[in-house]
Amino acid sequence: MNGAQHILEAFHRHSIQTVFGYPGGCIMPLYDALVDDVRVEHVLCRHEQGCALAADGYARASGKLGVCIATSGPGATNLITGVANAYQDSIPMLVITGQVPSALIGTDAFQETDVLGMTLGIVKHSYLIESAEELPGILEEAIELAQSGRPGPVWIDIPKDVLLAETTVLPEPMPAQPQATCPELSDAIALLCAARKPLLYSGGGINLAHAEDSFREFAKCSELPAVVTLKGIGNAGKHSAHNLGMLGMHGSRAANRAVDECDLLLVIGARLDDRATGKLDGFAPNARTIHIDADAAEFNKLRKAEITIRGDLNVILKELTQALRDTPLAINEWRKQCQNWRTTGGFQAADNEEPLAPITGPAFISQLSRTAPDDTIIACDVGQHQMWVAQHYQFDHPRHHLTSGGLGTMGFGLPAAIGAQFANRNSTVINVTGDGSFMMNAQELATIRRYNLPVKLIIMDNQCLGMVRQQQELFYNNRESQINLDDNPDFVAMARAFDIPALKIDRTDQVRRGIETILAYDGPMLLHVAIAREENVWPIVKPGGSNKEMIDETRRTAADKKEKIA
Amino acid sequence: MTTESSCKAPSYNITCRMSHEAAALERLCQVVRVRGFRIAKMAVDSADGALNIALTIQGTRPVAMLQSQLEKLHTVAEVKLAAPVVAAASRIA
Ligand SMILES: Cc1ncc(C[n+]2csc(CCOP(=O)(O)OP(=O)(O)O)c2C)c(N)n1
Ligand SMILES: [Mg+2]
Repeated sequence: MNGAQHILEAFHRHSIQTVFGYPGGCIMPLYDALVDDVRVEHVLCRHEQGCALAADGYARASGKLGVCIATSGPGATNLITGVANAYQDSIPMLVITGQVPSALIGTDAFQETDVLGMTLGIVKHSYLIESAEELPGILEEAIELAQSGRPGPVWIDIPKDVLLAETTVLPEPMPAQPQATCPELSDAIALLCAARKPLLYSGGGINLAHAEDSFREFAKCSELPAVVTLKGIGNAGKHSAHNLGMLGMHGSRAANRAVDECDLLLVIGARLDDRATGKLDGFAPNARTIHIDADAAEFNKLRKAEITIRGDLNVILKELTQALRDTPLAINEWRKQCQNWRTTGGFQAADNEEPLAPITGPAFISQLSRTAPDDTIIACDVGQHQMWVAQHYQFDHPRHHLTSGGLGTMGFGLPAAIGAQFANRNSTVINVTGDGSFMMNAQELATIRRYNLPVKLIIMDNQCLGMVRQQQELFYNNRESQINLDDNPDFVAMARAFDIPALKIDRTDQVRRGIETILAYDGPMLLHVAIAREENVWPIVKPGGSNKEMIDETRRTAADKKEKIA
Repeated sequence: MTTESSCKAPSYNITCRMSHEAAALERLCQVVRVRGFRIAKMAVDSADGALNIALTIQGTRPVAMLQSQLEKLHTVAEVKLAAPVVAAASRIA
């Protein structure tokens, strides 16, 4: 077998059946080997960024490893945004690129770039293969590494001669992972039981650790008031009685208020990102912290924790649940208080009763949430529409909400939806995008068509880069700069050019029918939703400001009026 | 990411053992820089496929944070932090 065939053998050994890639000179030996291999489905995207983001979406929606492949030079550099996206959100990914032949490395050869050097900061680990003999072992190690502990992308750069070289070396089986044991929890349990106002703060780590069930069991048994990060949305399920929703910059008043007042933060699978905490000085000022995570480097990085516990979240959550079964928490007053906040400070999208009124983002997303089937996967893009989804769509599982949290990559949604549809052939997959984001990877419409994927596309078109416009309005004296998109293409015609049917709506009375139409259609379909340019996401915390200082529409209007009077 | 002006920032001595792979040193140096430290001195020694690296670094951020980031690197076997070095400039002041 040559190096290329060893790669396919590794895919087979690890049940990797779907990969996303784009061919070119230095990776051609692998594409040649693919011709004879019926075990692997290779998905040809139309841009390498699409490949990486589709692999990311596949991994998020399935909990399995995402794999992307590209050639050297421009193929590899085009992958970079997608790999950085996976790195920031700890998504398990294997990246394989061809490199110029070993003897040409360092000669500025055609399509040579120093991929290893250029990607050091966006990978969990990376390899430049020096001989065919080391390739099988490194493939094993890389696949294991990408998925273990805190997952992340692992990049293997393989010179063309190595892909062609024959070797009989077979990989050593990886040593079996020792069974995760539970770390000592008695101090944490004592602190939790002593707290009067404890708050559960969970993030994307729950899903990454495949610990959703243990988390729900713990949340149900403890009845702890809870908040989630953007990536933790869905952790508690949509029927949880104690979930106050997302905290942070566009979080609910209820969630931010509870964080402000709690006396103990139980942080599980979250890294206290600045979009969630706001200004650290003002964050949970009265609380002690217990921080539980798979990655010890997150402890005390941004906030000092009284107790830190590193380990397998599944094991730890089960143990905590058991402990609280024996000693229930006596925090009824606090629970009641949080319930009140939830009633008055949750996200509410006012339904517009006026049939001819323009469509508003929150009301549209609420309707989508009520209409779409329970197992629907929403792949978002980045901007106001992303926040409306986070605020107003009721997710029952974190794997149903694919969002670029850490990197905030415009253009994520469409390829991520493609990946998610490959991972879940029978689920409804919807890309909710903005008019700006859609254009970042619109070429992937061709991928949807080629594979006849029934992905639904919803463009929330406010004819501008809405999130930037909003911040210019609020924090830069309304001085609009380079956000105007009123010369957008005709999105309906564009979809049709890819042989994807499409329709446009712009009035409240068309919303329900529009959504029902695309959902009922047996194939891909695009819904172009015209919304007002001036609409904002509320509430908002000024970047760098404290979560205590949330601005909402009424406060802003009052401030506006005062300014005008003055 | 900014690194603090070298005369004011505390100095630390770190030793690190890692496997001698492609880009091993670049990986290490990049983590030091990105996490807010500047390398003032560096000595490298290789034996039996391993690199032994002695670093003097300067920075105002908690050095334990850098240590845990270095320990996370897949090819790093061990990171040891010596007692803080008192900067000559601050001793005079
Ligand atoms: C690749 C990339 N470039 C720039 C940004 C900065 N950015 C964040 S939101 C946003 C506007 C997004 O516009 P659109 O997709 O239309 O969404 P809207 O906010 O209007 O809903 C921009 C430019 C980004 N996040 N990603
Ligand atoms: Mg827009």
